[in-house]
Amino acid sequence: MSELKIDISQVRTAFQPGEELMGTASWKLDQPPRAVELRLFWFTRGKGTEDAGMVETVRFDRPASQEMRPFRFKLPDAPYSFSGTLISLIWALELVAEPSKAVARVEIVVAPDGQEVRLDSVPESETGKIAMSWGTR
Amino acid sequence: MRARDNPFRTERILQMRYRLQNVTWAELLTRCEALRYRAALVGLHGSGKTTLLEDLEPRLRERGFDTHFIRLSEEERAFEPGFLKTLCAGLTANDILLFDGAEQLNPLAWRWFQWRTRHAGGLIITTHRTGRLPTLWECRTSPDLLAGIAADLLEVKSETLHERVNVLFRKHHGNLRDALREWYDLASDKTIKLR
Repeated sequence: MSELKIDISQVRTAFQPGEELMGTASWKLDQPPRAVELRLFWFTRGKGTEDAGMVETVRFDRPASQEMRPFRFKLPDAPYSFSGTLISLIWALELVAEPSKAVARVEIVVAPDGQEVRLDSVPESETGKIAMSWGTR
Repeated sequence: MRARDNPFRTERILQMRYRLQNVTWAELLTRCEALRYRAALVGLHGSGKTTLLEDLEPRLRERGFDTHFIRLSEEERAFEPGFLKTLCAGLTANDILLFDGAEQLNPLAWRWFQWRTRHAGGLIITTHRTGRLPTLWECRTSPDLLAGIAADLLEVKSETLHERVNVLFRKHHGNLRDALREWYDLASDKTIKLR
């Protein structure tokens, strides 16, 4: 049996860049793990090659088989969570127990107003207007 | 549709594993052994050679071999200086090299590579054409195969996809990777019906 859980304070999933993120990491494992690590990172999803960036990790020392530990991260100013048709950038917290490799993951949004930036395509008629307005200036 | 929600996003395509047809893994491994683990997976672009090679790796490890995955591609046609020397330094009969993209080496470089890796217990390659090593498996595609993969990605029945499958299969000459990449674009366009 392996249960890992990430609880973010106030059950939030949306944050401003630079904001503080707090919560608790808990686990219930058959045996004391060698190590438990909480990772704050972003990754991309979409059509092309995937990319990822590790921002911060917290290693919980001398973990028992069943425990709850508090954590605190200061979120960076960038990159923002965003989604277009070709690529999405997603922020996440991941709790990993070694050596079992048991994992828990929570996805969050890091962007102004806590809203994922949408890169929707601009309708053709609007791009035409923009081009015209540039042309007349 | 957001890229993260597109059923044909890279992450999901990479999760699709090779679908052996008319042969079992046990039969394929027996044939591999009969060829003394020196064999080729042959097929056109986008036919699943790399996926099959990746799927062979854990099965060879289960048989007690140490596997080493190496890759050349059209973007990277030669090994870094010193790479082969390092790779070949400690090769033993327990090591099997899994070489993706062997066709990138010219005939002379291929001969040299074979000689340098002669102490390895095996060499399984992927290549577009037959002839470099005895063929272990020829990767073939079909509209039914594309339909099956797309159906799994879309979580629908494959019979509902035949119209689009036939168009994309023909357009990309059986290259399933390219067909699935185009399906990504079609899925991301809200104005186009997904099937």
